[in-house]
Amino acid sequence: MKREIKRRGKARAAVIIRVMEMTLKQNLTDGFVIFTVLIQPLLVALLGIWMLQDKGPEYAIYIVVGSGMSGLWSSLVFISGNAVNVERWFGTLETLIGVPTPLSAIVFGKNLAHVLQSLGSILLCYVLASAFFGYPLTVAMPLPFAVSLLCVVLAFICFGLLIAPLFVLNPQIASFQNGLEFPVYVVSGFLFPIAMLPLWTVPISYALPTYWAAKAMHASARASETLGSIAFSWLVLLLTSVVYAGIGVILFRVVIRKAKEKATLDAF
Amino acid sequence: MRSDSISGSFNRRFSLIKNARLFSQGAYLSYIALFHWLQPAPYLASKIVMPLAQMFFFVFLGTFGSETLPASFFVIGNAMQMAAVSGIYGVTMAIGGDRWEGTLVYLFGTPAPRMSIFLGRASAHILDGILGIIIGFFWGWLLLGLDLGSTNFALLALAVVVTVFSTSGLGLVMGCVGLITRNVMFVNNTIYFLLLLLSGANVPLDRLPGWLRGVSRSLPLSRGIEAARLIISGGETGRALTLLAGEAAVGAAYLVVGYLLFSGFEKAAKRRGSLEVA
Repeated sequence: MKREIKRRGKARAAVIIRVMEMTLKQNLTDGFVIFTVLIQPLLVALLGIWMLQDKGPEYAIYIVVGSGMSGLWSSLVFISGNAVNVERWFGTLETLIGVPTPLSAIVFGKNLAHVLQSLGSILLCYVLASAFFGYPLTVAMPLPFAVSLLCVVLAFICFGLLIAPLFVLNPQIASFQNGLEFPVYVVSGFLFPIAMLPLWTVPISYALPTYWAAKAMHASARASETLGSIAFSWLVLLLTSVVYAGIGVILFRVVIRKAKEKATLDAF
Repeated sequence: MRSDSISGSFNRRFSLIKNARLFSQGAYLSYIALFHWLQPAPYLASKIVMPLAQMFFFVFLGTFGSETLPASFFVIGNAMQMAAVSGIYGVTMAIGGDRWEGTLVYLFGTPAPRMSIFLGRASAHILDGILGIIIGFFWGWLLLGLDLGSTNFALLALAVVVTVFSTSGLGLVMGCVGLITRNVMFVNNTIYFLLLLLSGANVPLDRLPGWLRGVSRSLPLSRGIEAARLIISGGETGRALTLLAGEAAVGAAYLVVGYLLFSGFEKAAKRRGSLEVA
């Protein structure tokens, strides 16, 4: 029994890695992905650098992290959100449903690729601020920053697991994609503190992993909070990851059941 | 002789009516086709929620970052920047969409005057862009405390119309680029974000390096935004009119370039037999 579980785990991991590899290769030729992951965060970073100029050079790392986070979210909402829909458009969804690997595992691999390539945006923004603007960029708490990064990767993948089937089940939400990008930039505190926002928006911020992700990343990059406070953000990120992944897996089952019942796998 | 004159007058009138019909039909159809207008969600997302959230983001970012600029600087800039949503995305897709939908062959096969088609596609988006800016100012006034007490509204209306026209001129050029590239959304998105950076909506132009200031001046929006700020603050009318004349000239230049590109691409595609892959 234990051996079987181990064998299945290995097989599942191999599928996830292979899906990630394929997705990365596909994305290299997709202009929309390149814009979302690389160009847009760089332009947001440039906007941040000039708009937060009065704050002084110590805010450069804040801009780098915040712009990178904006790239992560845009990638999640536009690319990971369509992880299932895109298979429907390509006509490959039936095949994916037919294979023994669960659809959620395949989408996990895709989201892993999207999140990892989005992390490149933080690196690019770092290079931009450091090499072109000459800002001295140092991560104040390197180890907590690395842990924060790992938690962020996991949280974004799991959030992607939630929104991909949601976009399939409710096309109205999917058609609202354009309207989801900037509101999350605002309530997540990517480039300014949420203390500036009206009080009624605070629960929305707290419910989103993007807020805790930005909080952990900013705090560990600038040592603006204690380790205990940063660890609390990690805990919330891990908990929301579990919750969102759990709901996501259930939604994937609903998607597949509905599609099979109605025999409308490519149309829903 | 008299009969020839009557016939000529009739033909001219008929041609005028035909052009007007082509213009209005092109405007109407390109408008409803773009966002599948009968479904409110894409419209609300693209035309109201996204611009509003974007405005909020930049106003909060600007007020957080700046110790010298008032919130109205960012509110006015981002309200005017809404011209780019219709002017860039709307117009580009209205022109370039024919290629993706496979209707470019039929369009180029018709004897319809190209200028009527070309301007008709843009005109509905000009009206839509004006509406977008009005919505932006309304939100700015209602939610972000924009003071319109010293505003010359007639002049502001002129600034809005001229700025939307000039931005649509750039959109027409981008639409023509969309006829020859597979990655039109990449080009569109990049131009849109470059405008956010270089139009002066969010970053005062004197903060940009000299060469980028030059680029900014060759783009639509920068003079229109400056004029709108001047008008709302009750500034000098003459200076605002000069800025708007400059903005209109930039728009007209893009319009001419767009029309020449459109005609040029058509001729080249027909000559090479590559209408769908031009």
